[in-house]
Amino acid sequence: MQHNTFIGGYGGSSPRQTEPNEVFRSDTGAGEPGSRGIELSGITKRFRTPDGNAFTALRDMNLTVEPGQFCAVVGPTGCGKSTALTLVAGLDRPSAGTLRVGGTPVNGIASGTSFMFQTDALLPWKTVLANVAMGPLFHGVPKKEAHAKAREWLRVVGLSGFEGHHPHQLSGGMRKRVSLAAALINEPSILLMDEPFGALDVQTKAIMSNELLTLWDQTRPSVMFVTHDLEEAIALADRVAVITAGPGTVKAVYDVDLPRPRGAVQEIRFEPRFLELHQQIWDSLREEVERAYARTTSIPEGEGS
Amino acid sequence: MTLTAEDIETRQAATALRSRLTGRRRRIVVYAARLATLAIVIGGWQLFTTWKIVDPFFFGQPTGVVTKLREWVEHGTAYGSIWMQIGITMEEALLGFVFGVAGGIVCGILLGQVRFLSDVFSPYIKAINALPRIVLGTIFVVWLGLGISSKVMLSFVLVFFVVFFNAFQGVREVDRNFIANVRILGASRFQVVRSVVLPSALSWILASLHVAFGFAIVGAIVGEILGAQHGLGLVIVTAQNQFDPNGVYAAMLIIMILALTAEWLISLLERRLLSWRPQAQTEALAA
Repeated sequence: MQHNTFIGGYGGSSPRQTEPNEVFRSDTGAGEPGSRGIELSGITKRFRTPDGNAFTALRDMNLTVEPGQFCAVVGPTGCGKSTALTLVAGLDRPSAGTLRVGGTPVNGIASGTSFMFQTDALLPWKTVLANVAMGPLFHGVPKKEAHAKAREWLRVVGLSGFEGHHPHQLSGGMRKRVSLAAALINEPSILLMDEPFGALDVQTKAIMSNELLTLWDQTRPSVMFVTHDLEEAIALADRVAVITAGPGTVKAVYDVDLPRPRGAVQEIRFEPRFLELHQQIWDSLREEVERAYARTTSIPEGEGS
Repeated sequence: MTLTAEDIETRQAATALRSRLTGRRRRIVVYAARLATLAIVIGGWQLFTTWKIVDPFFFGQPTGVVTKLREWVEHGTAYGSIWMQIGITMEEALLGFVFGVAGGIVCGILLGQVRFLSDVFSPYIKAINALPRIVLGTIFVVWLGLGISSKVMLSFVLVFFVVFFNAFQGVREVDRNFIANVRILGASRFQVVRSVVLPSALSWILASLHVAFGFAIVGAIVGEILGAQHGLGLVIVTAQNQFDPNGVYAAMLIIMILALTAEWLISLLERRLLSWRPQAQTEALAA
């Protein structure tokens, strides 16, 4: 079966996990004001390669992110997970299928969506303050007000005193905080993150993950978090979707029933339930990773479809 | 042996002092070598012509150049005072430069941003660019006469293409991520150009200005050589026709000083506009 969906806590296979799952569901429930869900159904994305062939990045992808839910998307390199994010953001259009955000079809870039890129997307010629203030300024907020708001957000991410610095004067972790502030200042109901902490060292990554969770908990936007770090995915998310080796489609969806607040992500890794989930999801992910790896090391089989 | 904090401090201070001294000594040596080079070239030129190893009738003499300059300052040239000639040449070059830069930036960004326009116009721009633009000078003299407008036009054409291609390339090289990011943050098309495209193309554009000002002067001088009533180009042609190499060199020296001053001003502007760049990079540029 291609589309095998495993939903922990709903299968009833283990009564132990049902309870905490329901508890946390009730406080992330669909009733969250201002929150919007994301719904991908039958999404296919083809690109034209320079030599005129069609390259299928996503094939018949189905995924639902409930309003206010933190959904991690894991998959091997090149499986099209980033492509899925650009489609949800409205930066690109799917070749087939329907894509809804908050019940309405995505038709170009919509306000209320923020995106955190893998690479630094901060403008190097602007100061930290000006970078964060961009969002409100683009929406016509007066400069003074926008700067005050940016200052406030910089305080929230712990960067007070760095307003006048330029991005290159900050460390990688600090730049990520600026990106986070710049993304959250628009008070998005949808937050899309494309391996945002991929380039950070392990310790900084753990700290940033904790802060992301704290900030997310305050405003509860719906999050789609792309990563290939499975531990990071489980530690952060309510739901983990495993994507197949390209062309990507959702292979399985797992609900993570670890209670919230999760506490330090470094420590949750040792919880028995975490290890159990990790084992389950890894079994499914490993196959795809191996397939993707085999493809890069041997002669590629002809693109059949 | 153990080191106390004080020991380490004194050692560090000594190292810092030593490296500062080495830096200063190096700078003095560089300046001395520069002066020596100048002295050897100018002095050699003077001696060789005095000893008649090379003929001063064809090669001129440094002292002759100085005399010529003094003569121009005191008595003026055949077409009025030397300051007027300089003023007219600079006026032509500056007007050509300003219009060329403005036109180049606007067209470069427009064609870089609007795919349709670049598809339509690129073959024509390539064709005009393939033309040695100096030949346009004669056409401009015919069209616009011997006044300053034909020189401004030639300067403009020379400057325009340099700036245009740099601005165009700069727009094309803009990081796609930056654009995607500000679009998601809510920027309109105009805001994307103003907050991302223009600033990131700026380093390309500024780099082209150094070359562009040189071209502006070339345009003005060549235009004057082709036909004019005033200007340094005319002074050079006249000196050449009178077999007066010193006059040619003297005018060249003036042009050199003007161009270096402009270059210095452009560097100041560049450093100001690109002050956000990491320190090491700006230092490397300034050196």
